[in-house]
Amino acid sequence: MKKLLALLTLLPLTLFAQLNIAVSYPYIGALTKTIGGENVKVTVLAKGKWDPHFIIPRPSLISKMRNADAMIMNGGQLEIGWLPPIINRAGNPKTMPNTKTFLNLSHHIKLINKPKSVDRKHGDIHPDGNPHFHISPKNILSLAKVIEEFLSSIDTSNRDTYQKNYHDFSKVWQQKMVVWQKKMKDKKGLKVIQFHDNLAYFNKEYGLVNIGTIEPLPGIPPSSKHTIEIIELIKKEQPCCILHDVYHSTKTADFISQKTGIKIILMPHDIEALEDIDNLSALFDYLTSAIK
Amino acid sequence: MKKIVLTSMLCAGFAYGDIAQLLDEDKRTFDSSKYIPDISLIGDFSYVNRSINDDELSHLGLPGIAHGLYAEHAHGGSNEATYNANQGFNFNYAELILSSSVDPFFSMDATFHFSESGVEVEEAYFTSTALGNGLRLRGGKLLSNFGYINAQHHHYWDFGDMPLVYESFLGTHGINELGAQIQWTAPTPFYLMAGVEVLQGENEQMFGNGSIELEDTWTSVGEEHIEGTDAPSLYVGYVKSSFDVGDTTIFGGLSYAQGDSLIDHSEDEDEPHVFKGDGKLYGADLVVLHAFDSYRSLKWQTEWLSRELDGVQYTPTASADINKEQSGLYSQLIYTHDKNWRMGVRYDTIYQNDITKDGVDMNEVDDFNKYSAMVEYHTSEFARFRLQYNRNEAMYDEAGLRQNIDTIMLQANIAIGAHAAHAF
Repeated sequence: MKKLLALLTLLPLTLFAQLNIAVSYPYIGALTKTIGGENVKVTVLAKGKWDPHFIIPRPSLISKMRNADAMIMNGGQLEIGWLPPIINRAGNPKTMPNTKTFLNLSHHIKLINKPKSVDRKHGDIHPDGNPHFHISPKNILSLAKVIEEFLSSIDTSNRDTYQKNYHDFSKVWQQKMVVWQKKMKDKKGLKVIQFHDNLAYFNKEYGLVNIGTIEPLPGIPPSSKHTIEIIELIKKEQPCCILHDVYHSTKTADFISQKTGIKIILMPHDIEALEDIDNLSALFDYLTSAIK
Repeated sequence: MKKIVLTSMLCAGFAYGDIAQLLDEDKRTFDSSKYIPDISLIGDFSYVNRSINDDELSHLGLPGIAHGLYAEHAHGGSNEATYNANQGFNFNYAELILSSSVDPFFSMDATFHFSESGVEVEEAYFTSTALGNGLRLRGGKLLSNFGYINAQHHHYWDFGDMPLVYESFLGTHGINELGAQIQWTAPTPFYLMAGVEVLQGENEQMFGNGSIELEDTWTSVGEEHIEGTDAPSLYVGYVKSSFDVGDTTIFGGLSYAQGDSLIDHSEDEDEPHVFKGDGKLYGADLVVLHAFDSYRSLKWQTEWLSRELDGVQYTPTASADINKEQSGLYSQLIYTHDKNWRMGVRYDTIYQNDITKDGVDMNEVDDFNKYSAMVEYHTSEFARFRLQYNRNEAMYDEAGLRQNIDTIMLQANIAIGAHAAHAF
């Protein structure tokens, strides 16, 4: 009987011992799980197959947020169109911005392509710079460190575990980075076209040059005038390929490809963006092998 | 004058950047510009063409339910024309929204409607941010969370006008009151929320508590005024729940509102009357949203409202016990094709209009229908142009004859400033 009682009292403890961490995107979920291990339960709000700018703020996300002990988001205004009402509705003090249990990853990364003037004439731009910084192995490592420090700060008793998990991850990841670097070595200086500048950081890391996007301006759907300009540009500059995200329609890209013979390569932006990409390594394995 | 010239020169200087230098932010003593709240401005304009003229329209109504819906009326000092009221061009509003954190415990939001007839405070409330346990408290002037569409601002509606049943029972602004709201989100894995509101109770169409002053000609009452009741006099409660099935979200709610009902139509040109009694309003809503991909979706939205009004109706010469039981619904289907195009249809009906006067059935007409279709083009997330067609078969003239109305409406809704994010 005593044993049973002891078990019963211990049981909830083990249940509560796990920190419930809400994160906006699958890649953050994967990193948090890697660093947090057994000590965290991760709840991912957005699906990896959707456009990260346009997530439907389903009420079910409010419940997920309401029950979380902490929140980690990408930031850089990527979530601006869908996350604020969820945070507001959940009314959870632990998931409120600017509290110690809230992490905005963009504050810990140097963003590139910060617009010189912020004006929606230039489309729906991100005033702080390009927020798609996770599509870069180098940045993933920095983000892992940021998450390790965050978890250690909100759960000091497990600090050693988080540091060890980060250390293990870092070792493996650095070996992989060497492999990816080798794979991408001969791609340096290659010109590419994109739909939206998702791969800014990836391109920077491996020396690819983005010469144009299919959307005339960020967030503005393709126009025939701009499409014709892109076709002219491709004929002149001879880029290798169109690196296309998985969530925009490839209709315009197909048309451009017909007119110029340029290859279209689907480039997943996150875990689950394509069916067989179920972890971060798989994502970069895919991305570094995609350009033939 | 000199000052103006100097300032404009300075401004020109800033525009060219290198003539005048502003001090770095961190060097400006006591500078508070970092604390400027989020500001956005939404302009709503429309062009309307109806099959009947404005003057005729203002005399139409739904017998026993609502009248003067489309007339500029000034009850109790407010002058709230309905949206898209006039033939030709309408400036519906320039909506100014301010929002910011107050401190670690509260945030504050305010929405002002600037129009040619003045400024209305649509909403101005503070909201708790640190209660935890799924609790959220809100106080101030607010749109009640009764039903589904009531809490949404006009610019978020899928049609340029309010569903018939809402407009008839509650007016264009719905339940928009001064009061307090507490909501609790349950710690369940699926969404479950319950809320209660205590509101002042000043809805013109259905709830009211103010004393009504009467002319000497009103012999039926025996006094010079009808005594008001104590505010707050309107209570609202609701339960909402939602779950996902794959890429489909199902969201449903049940709502109830109860309050004193003092309705003043003593100044009306024809058939002046005053009603004093109790009002009860029941609501059920269901929204099903299926997302095909990031931009393509189908949304089916239905709300049913039913109300009961029980009390005494006075005319200048007589009084009678009145009981009204009225119900209606709207159902709409909206297809979002991509970032540029959306389209939708809506069906409105009020199918129950049971009125008894001193226990005698009045045999009122109970067949009110309206059909709408719309197509929208968005140049970006911040600009929407909507073409809407209404076939309204719900309006009757003073002689009790139905007057069908066709309306074509072109609406422009333009937003600048802080990036808006909408709740589900």
